[in-house]
Amino acid sequence: MIFRTACREALGAPALAMAATFLAFGAAVQAAGLSLSWGLAAALLVYGMPGQMVLVAAVNLPGGALPAVLGAATANARFLPMAVALSPWLGGGPRRWWALPFIAVTPWAMAMRRLPGLPEGQRLGWFLGFGLTSWLVAGTATILGHAIAPLLQGPVLALMLLVNPLYFTLILAHEVRVPPGRRAVIAGCCAAPLALLLPAAWGLLAAGLLSGTLAFLWGERRGRR
Amino acid sequence: MAGADLALLLLILACALLRAAGLLVAGRLRPDHPFVRWAASVALATLAAFIMLAILAPGGALAGIPWWARAAGVLGALGWMRFQGGMLGPLLAGLAVTAAGWAISAG
Repeated sequence: MIFRTACREALGAPALAMAATFLAFGAAVQAAGLSLSWGLAAALLVYGMPGQMVLVAAVNLPGGALPAVLGAATANARFLPMAVALSPWLGGGPRRWWALPFIAVTPWAMAMRRLPGLPEGQRLGWFLGFGLTSWLVAGTATILGHAIAPLLQGPVLALMLLVNPLYFTLILAHEVRVPPGRRAVIAGCCAAPLALLLPAAWGLLAAGLLSGTLAFLWGERRGRR
Repeated sequence: MAGADLALLLLILACALLRAAGLLVAGRLRPDHPFVRWAASVALATLAAFIMLAILAPGGALAGIPWWARAAGVLGALGWMRFQGGMLGPLLAGLAVTAAGWAISAG
């Protein structure tokens, strides 16, 4: 029951954000001369857009994609703190490992909103329902994006790429209602320019690590109010 | 195996390891454990920084949208959410504001 509820929840704004982003990714894969199977494997098994895009952009560089793997993995290193933050909500048993392929920013952000309010026994089911639906939307959109790549150009592509930041702005607007979330969002926004000054592969990670740690320490100092 | 295939395989393994490490480390911790709260803070701050850059200093096709049209879209989405609630409505409203502003400025 909760699984179905979560599937339905994933089919609104989250699905639109996922679909727009992965349509654009499918088009980028096609434009780089890569096969659909490569794009689908990247979409479903990497399932982290910054790293995927780093790899696609590197394919046609003189050195090829291999030297870019470290940069792509670093760009997706946020999976680690996300999985740490999510894991305690999924229960301590081995079934929580089913969630592994679905840990990505869209399911994670919604899970951090929804899971604390659900009974303990329903949390994993909710995450699997939401995660699987988002994952299938991502795969389908990648296939479609690869097929209609020539149509996804100029203003259409730009507006599609805007869907994701808009969606996460709305997620963040919800997060700032509680003090820990507010501190993390403020610190992250203030640290964003740092990401521009540092090398692109790990600038965002460094900015997030520094600002997230400062926000956490700020909260500890204020007694977690 | 071609370079692009091998690179993809290595990235898939790296991302699985990152996810698995997080699940392994925190599986037995409570949600209010300081380590878990620190990780949540880092993940959220990283997302906030990413969104800030995507709106104010994007690269690629997104940079083709004038900065003020991107900002107007954000304000439109937040305003719609403030008064009407929900997620899909605000998202579409933000997109519409950006598209309309961009179209008007382009003449």
